[in-house]
This record gives sequence, structure tokens and C-alpha cells, in this order.
Amino acid sequence: MSRPISPRSAPPEPGPPEQAPLRRTLPRVPDRFAVAGVVLLALITLAALLAPWLAPYPEDHLDPVNALRPPSAEHWLGTDEVGRDVLSRILYGAQTSLLIAAAVLGASSVVGVTLGVVAGYAGGWLRDVIMRITDVFLAFPALLLSVALAVVLHPSVATVIVAIAVTWWPWYTRLAASTAASVATRPYVDAARCLGVPAPLIVLRHVLPNSLTPVLVQLSLDAGGVILTAAALSYLGLGAQDPTAEWGLMVQLGQSRFTTNWWLAAFPGLAILLTAFACNVLGEGLRNALDPRRTVR
Amino acid sequence: MRWLKGLAVAGAVALAASACAGGQVRGADRTATPASTTTPGATQQATENASTFVYAPNLEVVTDWDPATSYSNEIMAMANIYEGLTRYNAQTQKPEPRLATEWTSADDGKEWTFKLREGVKFHTGATLTSQIAKQAIERTIKAGGGAAYIWGAVDKIETPDPLTLKFTLKYASPLDLIASSGYAAYIYDPAGVDKDGKKDGGTGPYTIDQWQKGKETELTLKAFEDYWGGWKPQQYKKIAFRVTPEINTAWQLLQSGEVTFVPRLNPQLFEKAATTPAVQTSKASSFQNLLVLFNTETLPLEVRQALQYAIDYDGLVAALKGAGVKASGLVPQGLLGHVPGREPRQDLAKAQELLERAGFGPDKPELVLDLTYAQGDEDQKLLVTLLSAALKKLNVTLRAKPMQWNAQWDQAKAKDPAKRQDVFVMYWYPDYPDPYSWFVNVFRSKETPDFNLSYLKDAEIDKMIDALPALTATDPAAAQASYAELQKKIIDERAAVAVPYVQTYQRALAAGVQGYVDNPAYPNVVFFYDLAPSP
Repeated sequence: MSRPISPRSAPPEPGPPEQAPLRRTLPRVPDRFAVAGVVLLALITLAALLAPWLAPYPEDHLDPVNALRPPSAEHWLGTDEVGRDVLSRILYGAQTSLLIAAAVLGASSVVGVTLGVVAGYAGGWLRDVIMRITDVFLAFPALLLSVALAVVLHPSVATVIVAIAVTWWPWYTRLAASTAASVATRPYVDAARCLGVPAPLIVLRHVLPNSLTPVLVQLSLDAGGVILTAAALSYLGLGAQDPTAEWGLMVQLGQSRFTTNWWLAAFPGLAILLTAFACNVLGEGLRNALDPRRTVR
Repeated sequence: MRWLKGLAVAGAVALAASACAGGQVRGADRTATPASTTTPGATQQATENASTFVYAPNLEVVTDWDPATSYSNEIMAMANIYEGLTRYNAQTQKPEPRLATEWTSADDGKEWTFKLREGVKFHTGATLTSQIAKQAIERTIKAGGGAAYIWGAVDKIETPDPLTLKFTLKYASPLDLIASSGYAAYIYDPAGVDKDGKKDGGTGPYTIDQWQKGKETELTLKAFEDYWGGWKPQQYKKIAFRVTPEINTAWQLLQSGEVTFVPRLNPQLFEKAATTPAVQTSKASSFQNLLVLFNTETLPLEVRQALQYAIDYDGLVAALKGAGVKASGLVPQGLLGHVPGREPRQDLAKAQELLERAGFGPDKPELVLDLTYAQGDEDQKLLVTLLSAALKKLNVTLRAKPMQWNAQWDQAKAKDPAKRQDVFVMYWYPDYPDPYSWFVNVFRSKETPDFNLSYLKDAEIDKMIDALPALTATDPAAAQASYAELQKKIIDERAAVAVPYVQTYQRALAAGVQGYVDNPAYPNVVFFYDLAPSP
């Protein structure tokens, strides 16, 4: 278990402590929950990658004669309304969910961190412009903005990625900007500047690497959120469309039959829960590990 | 979709064919009356029925309040507000008296005389006379909308006395059957017609209480006190239509007694309903079939044919688990024009070959198709799931959109053809037990689209369709041949439509309701006047 200790015990040195190099701050005793998260996430990723080999049936295997069969030896998690194997669809659905999470986090962190670092290092009017734009985006509730975007575009996996990424990047911009602003005042940055190193190179070599740690923690914490949001959009009919296997979509298709065929919505729901949980405990563990103000018992 | 509309005709024929007229009602002897406020111990005669009969359709009820042009789901309300000269009896398969008490035909069916019922009051206060009846029918014919075509044979209408209506026809026609139609055959006081649904001009047992377009409880009806049939205390005096798109919600509302009638459940819930004490079920074959209409203006012939081959007809019927039977052509069994042995089959190899001929298919450019279907209709959803899975293998992406009927229909009728869908899914049922309705409404070319949502324009097909009514009256064998030829042209040669299945009606209603009988000639209509809670 971990818990924050009093901030007063933090080292009195100036500047935010998050920039402590990774190696020095890794805890000796790993957080049990974090380890469970890592293992779970690794298993889920492995299941997604190996879906074509692990799944007992192909993704598009239809068997309407055996529709809506409850869990059995033949179909471990039952079959859906057109006889597709629920277990196979959950395994293939893991691909979709992880793909969405990777694409959203990749795109929004690249955009967010780039803008954030530039804003933090440059300061002045450039910082004001960038930060006001992020404020505009942050003013809307994220899910609402995603829904609005998804309604305008045709429902698909690509739409989900775009709709979530658009609402996600401003958080990274903020985070990166505040870290970069403090890094920019460090003596080694001043030294580089005095030596005549061009600004882009300073940003790339010194400011960016030293602003990444909090973003990495945030990314791992956000992965679960992205998967949940993607599931929500698909659940609302704005995301992945049949026959794509996607967990949120499976829950939506199964909900009207929940009282008679509970396995249709329950198992994909469980998959969403486990994945989001794994991402969160992993993120929490990483935060504890990388934050010298926190200690692990 | 006119999802309800098409139901009526189909129902009547299927009844005859399968000897299940009226359907098989189970659990009617159960006594639970969740929707009733009947006082225990009171005698039936003395107990005034204060409960509301709540009907839970999955789509909006009213699209058109004018009895002349109404041609959609509002039949479930209209058939209780308005009446025709006759009503089709599904058990006897004959029209029976309604506003007309007797009728005769002469001159080999070219002359018909109807005696009107005495003392019938319109909801407007006017009294039924042959003059008003003539005005109503002539107004309907003049409006030319909806099912007005049913009066196509009428040459002139005369009123020899206030209670006699005499029709002279251009060609022989079964006018007593036509007059029983669920659409365009209503006798109404034109002064009462109101497009905003604030009043009505009917003679039926119920009149409009309140219509709130877009609200969950869209429409409420109240008893018309001066109804010619009179009122018994136990009859339902208040009716509500509560739009419930989700089947599961409808089922829960039925169990809790908040709704009284659910027109359709999914097979699993229907099975469950059969063993639930507070609920009774009813099953009947119908004349309602599912039409998958392909846009003939945007899709090349090969693509339309490929889509026909891509549908898993056997799989769909299997997944329906008793809620439908495989269709053989456009005309359901039991109607003139039905052609046995033309049940379609899925053939993905052929579908791929046809797609490749059109320049699509695996390893070729992706084809994206827009399909619209009825929101909340799980049977249509099954079709969509099966079709999209089959098409994915052929590099065709189906963008399927569940919609409320008005929105789906408006998009299909969009002035700009680019805004219309590629594939339109709806149910159809005949207006009276005759197959003409499918052809004249859905496949005859029209300047502005109405129900011809494959947008087919074929002069030869039009000519054949126009000849059908007279041919049916004079030479049924030739009419049968013509119907067979038309189906070959429309389905095989022009590939304007795929017809996967004919519905089997599966109703669920509160166990306490007595007297419910399915009449497939009026699809999805509950004749509330005939019902009462059990004592």
C-alpha cells in the first residue's frame, strides 16, 4: 500500500521534484497492486495480440442456429443473437480497445506535449495563446465534446479515436507547459543558452526529456479513461459499428436482452472493468514510484 | 416503413392459409389485472372501468391525421377513431357490417348498393347520411394520397336516399372487401378533419383526447359517449399510446402493469412471457413481410444483386426463432399472386463475383453503403447484423442507422437524391387482403417518392401494375400469371428488393384483458372497444 507523506518532508530544493531521474526514484519494494496491474495489462495485451490463435472461433463466425446459447463447454461465454462466440468477440474486442487507447494517447500526447513544451519554454504571448486555446477545449466536459464530435462524423473506430483525442490533448499541454516552464529556469538550461545553443535544440535536448515524467504517469492513468470513454461512445452508437468487435458496442447490443441472456452484456462489461482497473492501478503505481514525495511501504 | 401499414392485408391471407385466424391466445384465463382498478367483489355490470389501456408501440404513432391520406403507423389509433362501411372478419374471411348494415351487388360486380346504419353520430355532432359518406369518399379520392387507389374502380357515387349509397364501377371489383380496408376507406365528416390532431371527424368508439407529438405518451384517446354501439361499464374508456423503443423496457412496463399491450417482443422475452403469470401471449401468422429496398438510382444492378445474395435468409429465420417464416417472393402465402418455390438463398461466392463485375469486392476499392432501419426493431437489427458481417468479408462496409420512422422516411424522400440512403428496410402489409398494394405503392414509379423507396422507374412494370385491378376482377388466372411475372422482373431482373421473411405476430398483453383477437387485416391494431378486463 502507498500513501502520500506530508509535503513538508519534501526536499527543500527549488523547482518541482518530479524531474528526479527515473532510476533514482524507483522503489525497492514494488507496489503489489501496481504489479497486479502490470500483470493484468500484460495478459490483456497478450490476449489481444494472440486473439487469432487464442479465440476458439473466427471473429466473423456466424451460427444463427446456435444463437443466444448460454455459457457451455462449447462456447465458454455463450453466443450472441446471431450465434457469434462471445469469448472470441471479447478477445478480438481487446484489439479494438487497446488500439483506440494507444492511438488516442499517442496522438494527444504528441500534440499536447509539443504545444506544452513550446508554451512553457517560450513563455510570453505564445504561451498565452496556446494556454487560452487549451482553456477553451477544457471548458467543455470531455465526454460531451466527444459525443458532439462523434455525432457529426460517421460512427466508426476512427471517429472514436479522433473524437477522444480532440478532448484529451489539452490536459497534456497544461501538464507539459507547467513542467517545461520550471525546467526552463534551471541553471543547465541557462548554461546551454549562454553557450549559444539554438532554442529548438535546447527544447529538444533539455526541456522535453525533463518534462516527460509527469506526462508518462498521466498517460498510464488515462489509458483506463480512454478505454471507458471509447466504450461509452460505442455504447451510444457513435463509435465502432457491427460487425466490429468492440466491448462498449457488445454491452449496448446485449443490454436489451440482459434479463434473458445476461452473458451478452456481462462479459464484455467485465472486460472493460478489468482493463480500466489494470490501467488505473498501474498508473497509480507508476505515480508512486516516480514521485519522490510519496513513499512505498 | 409503414411498418404497421403493410401488416393488415398480409394478416388476413395468412390467417386463411394457416387456419390460425385470430391467433392462439394463451393465458387468457389468468386473473391478474395489473392495469385495472376493478373493485373486487363488485358485480361486472355495476363496475365502471376506470383503467387506461396502454399500448406500447416501438415507434411514433401518428404521421398523418387526415383519414383520406393517412397511410402509416397511425392505423393503430385511426382504426379505433374511424370506421368504414365494412370490417374484414379474419375468422370468416369475409367483410362484415360496420357503418353499412347490408349491401348488394349487381351487373356482375359493377354496381354496389350499401344500406347505411341508422342513428350513427360523428364525433363532430353531425349524423351519418349517404351524402356525408359520399363527400368523404370523394374527398379521399380527390386527395389521391395514401391508399386512395383502392377506390380506383369507382366511376360514380349516388345517394338515392339519406341511408343508401350506390356505387357504379368502371370494372368489376369486390367493393365490400375494398371498403373494409384499414386505409382510405374511412367514412368521416370532412368538417372534423384536423391535421394537428386536436379533433377528428370519425364515428368510431374513441375520439382524440390529447396528441403530444414527440412525447413518450404521444396520444391518448377517450370514449365517444354517443357511439352507435353503446357502452358497457366494463369496456375501456381511456386509451394511451406510450412510445417505447426498447423492447426490454416495454417488457418491464408490461410486467409492472404500466402498459397493457406490447405488439412485439423478441423471441426470448416472448418465451418468457408465455410462462409469466401476469401476462398472456397471442401468436398469429400475418401478411406482413420485410422489404429490403435497394436504391436503384445510386446502386448498379450488379451491386443490388450482390446484396440479395449476401443476405443470410436461412440464418435470419433461424435467429428469429419462430417470429417469422422464410418468404417466397413479394406476396405472402394465402394471397392471390403468391408464387411458391422462389425462396432466396445466400450465395457469397456469387455475391463476390457480382461485386467484382461492378468494380468492388476484396482487393478492390471499398464500397460503403448507408442503410436505414426501424429503431427498436430487434428483428430488423438481426438482419443488419447478419448482412454487415457477410458484407465485411466482401470489403463492403454497411453503415446502418436505426431511426424513428418519420426521420427514416423523410431522409428517404429527400429532394436531393444524394441525401437518400442506399438500402431502406421496412415492413409492408396490404391495405385489404389483396397483393396489389405492394406493387402499386412500392414499385410503381412516382415523380416524388412516397413508399417506392427503391426509386424504381420502369414503364413496362408500371403498365403491368396498372392492368392488375381489372385483370384480378375479370381473369384471376391471368392476374396470377401477371403477379408472378412482375415478381420475376422486380426481384430477379431489376433487383430492387430482397424479401427475407414474413412475420409471425407475437403479442404480449396483460393477463387480465379479455377478448383480444389478432386481426391481421388491420396489422398491429387493437380494437379496444372489444376488450374488457376480466371481472
